[in-house]
Amino acid sequence: MYYFIIIKKKLFRSLPILILYFFSFYHFQAPEVGKIGVFSFNVQMILIYFYVLKFPDDLGFGNIFLAGIINDAVIGIPLGTTSLSYLTLSLFTTYIRNSTIRAIMTTEWFTFIPALFFSNLVYLIIINNFSNVSFFYLELLQNTFFTFLFFPLFHYIFNQYQRLISKE
Amino acid sequence: MADHRDDFIIAIRYALLKKGAKQKFSLFFLILLSISIITLDKFEFSFMSPVRATLNDIVYHISVASAQPEKLRRSLVQKTKQHYYILNENKFLKKEMEFLKKQKFNNAFLLSENQALKKALDFSATKSFEREFSINAKVILDQRSPYLKSILINKGTNSGVKKGMTVFSSDYLMGTVIETNFISSRVLLLSDLNSKLPVFLSESSTNAILEGTGKKNKLRLNYLPETFIIEPNVIIFTSGKGGYLTPGIPVAISYLGKKNNILIKLLGDPDQALYVNVTNGQINQ
Repeated sequence: MYYFIIIKKKLFRSLPILILYFFSFYHFQAPEVGKIGVFSFNVQMILIYFYVLKFPDDLGFGNIFLAGIINDAVIGIPLGTTSLSYLTLSLFTTYIRNSTIRAIMTTEWFTFIPALFFSNLVYLIIINNFSNVSFFYLELLQNTFFTFLFFPLFHYIFNQYQRLISKE
Repeated sequence: MADHRDDFIIAIRYALLKKGAKQKFSLFFLILLSISIITLDKFEFSFMSPVRATLNDIVYHISVASAQPEKLRRSLVQKTKQHYYILNENKFLKKEMEFLKKQKFNNAFLLSENQALKKALDFSATKSFEREFSINAKVILDQRSPYLKSILINKGTNSGVKKGMTVFSSDYLMGTVIETNFISSRVLLLSDLNSKLPVFLSESSTNAILEGTGKKNKLRLNYLPETFIIEPNVIIFTSGKGGYLTPGIPVAISYLGKKNNILIKLLGDPDQALYVNVTNGQINQ
């Protein structure tokens, strides 16, 4: 019974990592609403931003790096591109965490804008200079916008989840 | 001002170098590692090729497993839709069959006439559509990405698949192999932004370049004559320019869009492809 509780606790604590890996392996895409891919957003970025900001011990940088490498292999872009983009997001998030005294959801939501900006900037620079892949800037912009828009929802879900596992 | 700048530098340095209680690597180390990997991948060092191929094979197969629940959901939805569609189609086909029976005799005459003309031009059907090399492969992953419109197939270099080979599905051109691993390959679809194919238009025999836009039913024709206006229901064939594709393979068709504009769609639906033929440019008949 004791071991079962330990395994359960470890599994619950590892869930963010498992989600991160799952979405790196599997890119879901829900049907488009009209011409806009509303559900085309980056769950990994929300997850990384939230956990590095609030619970840095639950999501290691090594896992973030590896998830990025997997993502690159699945999509077919130069290896290390997404890793560097995720690590830039982590760097910016760590900086925000160190400079913020009082954490409010709204502040975290708006600081997500520059974090996303720098992360995508790194991504664009690498894609444009290190590969021959042309891609859809509008779709990337849409994806970034909806990633930003869905942040409060995931903030609530992740917060509730963390509360739930801390009670157990 | 100077204090503020110092604070910023200290915060960045802290973020880069400080490891958390449970962090095994610092951000600085991982960022350097990422940059090294990008550089090694860019300059294509000899040892990177097998490393990347092995990594791709492993990742693709795990990715296929993770996509199974979604595949099951899609197949259930599709089967339900298909059931109702088949009911309606059955009624329609009965009517069409009657009509086609009448057309059959006319076609037999046209076929014999066509063969006689081709013989006269020394451009026989067997010569142009000769199957030289074909590998049957299964589509293992067709994840949609905003960056690349591609599919993954379960055959790689160990089955003889090489970069640049042409991929067909139900005798329609699908795309080209752009990446090969040991037991898997990536096929760039014709609908991708990076895809460019020399074609000619039936009836007018005008040459053009068919370019992908990311959407299978909104392709673009470039380098058409300035005054040329394309009409609906024009079939677009490969022109064979460039040398590696047989001329005359049907690729796409023009159609009238909702806003009465002429659009171009692929004849083969990449989303429906389960099995494909990888060839060295010849159609598989």
